[in-house]
Amino acid sequence: MNVAVVGVGKMGMLHAGIMNGFDDVNLCGMCDASKFLLGFAKNLTQVNAYTDYRKMLDKEKPDALLITTPVFLHIPMALECVERGLPFFLEKPLSLKGEESEELVQRIDERNLVTMVGYMMRYSETFARAKQVIDSGALGEIITFSSTIYVAQLFKTGKGWRYSKEKSGGGVVMGQATHLIDLLGWYFGRVNYVSGHTRAYYSEEVEDFAHVHFEFENGTTGWMDSTWSKRHHRLLEISIEINAKNGNLTVNDDELKFFLDSPAGGYDDGWTIINKPDLFEGVEFDIGGPHFSRQDRAFVDAVKSNRQVESNVKNAQAVQKIVDAIYHSAEHHGEPIKI
Amino acid sequence: MIDPILLGHNQFFGVNHLKASTGNAKHAYFSEIQRIMDVIEFSFDHGVKAMMMSTHDRAIDVADAIVKNPKLKDDLGIYLLLPYAAKYVRMANEKGIVNIITDALGGTSLKDKLGMVARGGMGVLRKDFKKILVTLIDFEMAQFNKLNLKSVFLHDVLTDLILGWNALDALEIFAAHVQEKYSAIPAFCTKNLPKLMQGLNQIGLENPLIMASVNKIGYQVNPSLDAFERCLHENQLRLLAMSTLAAGYLRPKEAYEYLFKLPNIASVVVGVSNTKHAVETFDEIRFRMRERDGVTA
Repeated sequence: MNVAVVGVGKMGMLHAGIMNGFDDVNLCGMCDASKFLLGFAKNLTQVNAYTDYRKMLDKEKPDALLITTPVFLHIPMALECVERGLPFFLEKPLSLKGEESEELVQRIDERNLVTMVGYMMRYSETFARAKQVIDSGALGEIITFSSTIYVAQLFKTGKGWRYSKEKSGGGVVMGQATHLIDLLGWYFGRVNYVSGHTRAYYSEEVEDFAHVHFEFENGTTGWMDSTWSKRHHRLLEISIEINAKNGNLTVNDDELKFFLDSPAGGYDDGWTIINKPDLFEGVEFDIGGPHFSRQDRAFVDAVKSNRQVESNVKNAQAVQKIVDAIYHSAEHHGEPIKI
Repeated sequence: MIDPILLGHNQFFGVNHLKASTGNAKHAYFSEIQRIMDVIEFSFDHGVKAMMMSTHDRAIDVADAIVKNPKLKDDLGIYLLLPYAAKYVRMANEKGIVNIITDALGGTSLKDKLGMVARGGMGVLRKDFKKILVTLIDFEMAQFNKLNLKSVFLHDVLTDLILGWNALDALEIFAAHVQEKYSAIPAFCTKNLPKLMQGLNQIGLENPLIMASVNKIGYQVNPSLDAFERCLHENQLRLLAMSTLAAGYLRPKEAYEYLFKLPNIASVVVGVSNTKHAVETFDEIRFRMRERDGVTA
């Protein structure tokens, strides 16, 4: 299978590198606006380089495109793929605003095109296992949850597109908390209401801190706290705690533990503690963590077999609508907003 | 000669492959450089005369303290790992990759050339890119030059990115520069040993020094423990084994009994934050090594 990549920044290098490392995938083209990066890559690799992605698609005729550009370019590039009937992988988040993607979602549906959006935490061992436990019904009715997503990234004004509202659509909620929002939706279903509070401190245009309350359609309520300006968090760390009728569950990047009052869903009562090494399985080619490899493998297999994945554009649109509501709510002092 | 046991550095810089929270706590504990120096000296006194060191900001202070310590200055062998990748991932998020590179080269004679690169990009000659690469290596090495450098490792994120993009020349450029300019052994850290061996065989780098995770439960071993073991059997290399205790999952006895039955194990890197466990681990490694080499105590 031939893939091409547009946007050769951090995420483009990562995904294109992983897929090209698979035995059944060949990276046939790369495109970037930065002649510097492109020149660098061109001198070191055999991959054909372009500054116009349409020309790349015309010439290379790949079987799929990786779109790893700044957010404001996502929708037009995705629409171009739909026009050509070309499956694509899009780095998250989907778009600056949820409504921008209406036409895209509709046209993807009509063509039944295979798409994936890069919410890779679903492919992280502990969070994937937590999903199995939740779906087994072992916990019983889920009452409340609390969750955090933190990283030590920004302690001065940032440079570049991520900190420009026009290009990124927002700050930590858009750029990072969307990983957590995606997991929460995966676990608890559709969101009814959100109310959000945000705070900009280091950034001029976008929020650095956010606290959000959720009410899901199934009655589950809970909160999320997020910031990219949390000291002493070397890596992006997600943690979710769930209180349920038959017990409680805690999951983070390193472990999953849950306690059941009585046996249910095939699990014993009392504590079950599962660490990352218990769940580890080697991957065919790893850059930056096995969850990226598993995600990219899922995309490649989906394209080959023309099957949809759960984490597609439609799902990413649902995440985006929640983000819109959070920003709207935050502008009105946390007023609850119906999704 | 590669040191048989290396003191690991992860605990000093908040890296923990089992729990981020433990890593963060240790990062706080070791914010006093003296506490790091105590562990280094303790290990040195127990015969571990080499350490891994990533180019973390905190490592600059450690390097300064080592240079000022008469016992360690010339006799502690340093195996440098560069770059400290998490820092650059954060910087890439903060200002983008192009800005990282141009800022790093800002003070050098390459600055003018960079302007040209940014303007003309694709037309710039191959030798200029080679120069940029080695200047970036020198930039990262600058603070660690005074140490007794035995080897310089390329971080797994870069090694594996290079493999993924099939840009094998970059591995060659790195190896040649480390050898020529620093008289150190060029080495590679990887999460994909079989693929790296393929690549190094292709560019003809013989008997390479490679750091990779290996342990009997296969934690952090790709693509599988079987394929990894097969690669060790079928190739000529020197493996510096890391994650040998599977982030604390295995006891030293079972861990090293397994490890030293594998071929091509040159060295083991051991993370030490507790001196009591350290001696037990060092002794177990030496015992299993002697057993392997047929030396009786």
